[in-house]
Amino acid sequence: MDDRKPTTASSIKGTAHPTTESAVTSPAAPELIQLLTHEDVDRARDRWEVAQARAKKTRGTFGGVRLLWLLVGPGVLVFLGENDAPSMLSYAAVGSRFGVGFFIPFVILTFMMGFVVQEMTVRLGAVTHRGHAELIFDRFGKFWGLFSMGDLILGNFLTLITEFIGVRAGLGFFGVRPSIAVGSALLIVIAAITTGRYWTWERITMGLAIFNGLFIPAAILARPDWHAVGHAMVTWMPLPTGSRYEILILILATIGATVTPWMLFFQQSAVVDKGMQPRDINAGRFDTALGALLAAVFAIAAILATVPLFHHGISAADFQGAQFAEALEPLIGHVGAALFALGIFEAGIVAAIAISTSSAYAFGEVFKTGHSLNRPLREAWPFYLTLLGSAFAAAALVLLPRFPLEFVVLTVNVIAVMAMPPALAFLLLLVNDRELMGEHANGFWANMGGVTVTILLVLAGLGFGIATVFPHWLGG
Amino acid sequence: MSDDSNNKNAKGPALNDPRAVLSLLEADQVVAAKRRTQFGRQQLSSGTRFLLWGLRVYVVLMLAIVALSVFRAVHSAH
Repeated sequence: MDDRKPTTASSIKGTAHPTTESAVTSPAAPELIQLLTHEDVDRARDRWEVAQARAKKTRGTFGGVRLLWLLVGPGVLVFLGENDAPSMLSYAAVGSRFGVGFFIPFVILTFMMGFVVQEMTVRLGAVTHRGHAELIFDRFGKFWGLFSMGDLILGNFLTLITEFIGVRAGLGFFGVRPSIAVGSALLIVIAAITTGRYWTWERITMGLAIFNGLFIPAAILARPDWHAVGHAMVTWMPLPTGSRYEILILILATIGATVTPWMLFFQQSAVVDKGMQPRDINAGRFDTALGALLAAVFAIAAILATVPLFHHGISAADFQGAQFAEALEPLIGHVGAALFALGIFEAGIVAAIAISTSSAYAFGEVFKTGHSLNRPLREAWPFYLTLLGSAFAAAALVLLPRFPLEFVVLTVNVIAVMAMPPALAFLLLLVNDRELMGEHANGFWANMGGVTVTILLVLAGLGFGIATVFPHWLGG
Repeated sequence: MSDDSNNKNAKGPALNDPRAVLSLLEADQVVAAKRRTQFGRQQLSSGTRFLLWGLRVYVVLMLAIVALSVFRAVHSAH
C-alpha cells in the first residue's frame, strides 16, 4: 500500500488535467507497475474488450453493436433504478387519480430533465476518473462536502427503506410473508456483489432491471385508450382537476421519481468503476438516453395500468403497493394484477441494489478506502460493509411492527426534489471547471439545460412550501 | 488513446504483464496514481458562496416544511 501524502494532480504528472495519456507512457509508470491492484487488472480486462470491439467497428463488422453492448450500463441502471418502488407507486397514483392526460407528457419531460443532468455525470466520471463525492470534497472542501453527503445519506437511507416496503408489498400480493420477502431481497443484493467484478454485477443488475418492463403487459391488459394517450401527448390535456395541493404533491413526486441526488453520485461512480474514458463519452450518452427512454416507457405503462381505477372512481389516495394490485385484479384480471405486483417487487430490488451501492461508493470516496466492485471483500471491506449494512438496516426497519412506513413513503420523493438544487449547483460548478474538464466542460446549451432544471426544481419546491404553509391559497 | 495499444492480441489480454495492464489504462486511471493525486481546492467567488448558502438555507427550510406537511398528513389519517 502506498501511504505517501497526496499531491496535486498537476505536480505528479507534470501536465494539467485532463489527460488521456496512457499509463504505460507516463513518467510515473515505473512506480505504478509496482503498485497495481486487482481492481486495475479487472478494469484493464474490460478496457481490452472495449479496444477489441472498437477495432472491429472500424473494420465494418458488428463491432459497433458490441462496443455499445460493452459500454452501456450505468445510464440504463440509473434510470431503471430510479423507476423504483415509490416512483412506480407515484405513477400508479397519478393514473388512478387523474387518468390519461397532462401527466403522460409531463413524465416524458421529467425524463428529458433527467437526461440533461445525468449526461454531465458521464463526462465528469469519464474525464476525471473520480466519483462525485470525491470531487466535491477535493474541489470545495469538507465543509460543503459534508452538507452534500448529509443530503445524500439521508435521502438514500429513506429511499432504501421504501424499496423494501415495495418488495414486501409486491410479494405480499402473492401471500409471501414480509420476513421472507425482505430476506429474499437481501439475498439478491448479496448475490449481486459476491462476484467481485463490476462487469458481472452490472450485467446481473441490468438483467433484473429489464423486468421493470412488466408494467407494459400490465398496461396492455388494462386496455388503454390509445387515441386519448396520443391526444394527451400532443396537447397535454386534459389538465388534472381537484385539490390543487394534491396535484402539486403528485407533480413533485413525479419529478422526484426522475431526478434525485443519488442518481448523480451513482452514475458518476459507476462510470469510473466501469473504467470509461473520454473517448467513451458518446457511448455513455447513448447509454443514458437509452435508460431514460426505457424508464419513461415503463413509467407511462405504470400510469396506464392503473387508469381503470380512475374510470371506476376507485379512490387510490392511500394505496400502497399490494393494494394497487388487489384493486386492479377485478378490472384487469389476475395476470395483470400479478404483473403489477411483480413489477413493484422488481422495482424495489433493483433500486435497493443501486442505492446501497451509491451510498457505498460515496463512503469509500470520502474516506479514501477502496470503493470498487472490482475489489475483493478483503481489500474493500468498508465498501461492502456500507453497502450491505445500509441494506440490512433498511430491511430491518421495514419489518419493525410499529415503524411509520407511511411517513417514509410520503416524504421520500419530496425530499429528493428538495435536496436536488444544491446537488445540481455542485454538478454545474464541477462540469464547468475547465481545470478538471478541459474541452469536455459544459457548453452554453448544456448550462442552459442544467440551470433551467435547477430553477424548475426550486420553483416546484417553493410552490410546495407555499401550499403547505398557506393551504388556503391553493384552495386546500 | 490508451486502449488501442493492446489490440494485437485478439485471443486475450496478457494481463499478467503489468505493462499490458498499464497500456490499457489512462495515467490518471490507475488506483495508485489516483490515491497519490488530489485535485486542489477551487476558489469560490463571493457570488458562488452566496448561491451555495442560499441553496443550503432553502433545503433546511424545505425540510422543515416537509416535516410539517407529513405531520399534518399523518395526524389527519389518525
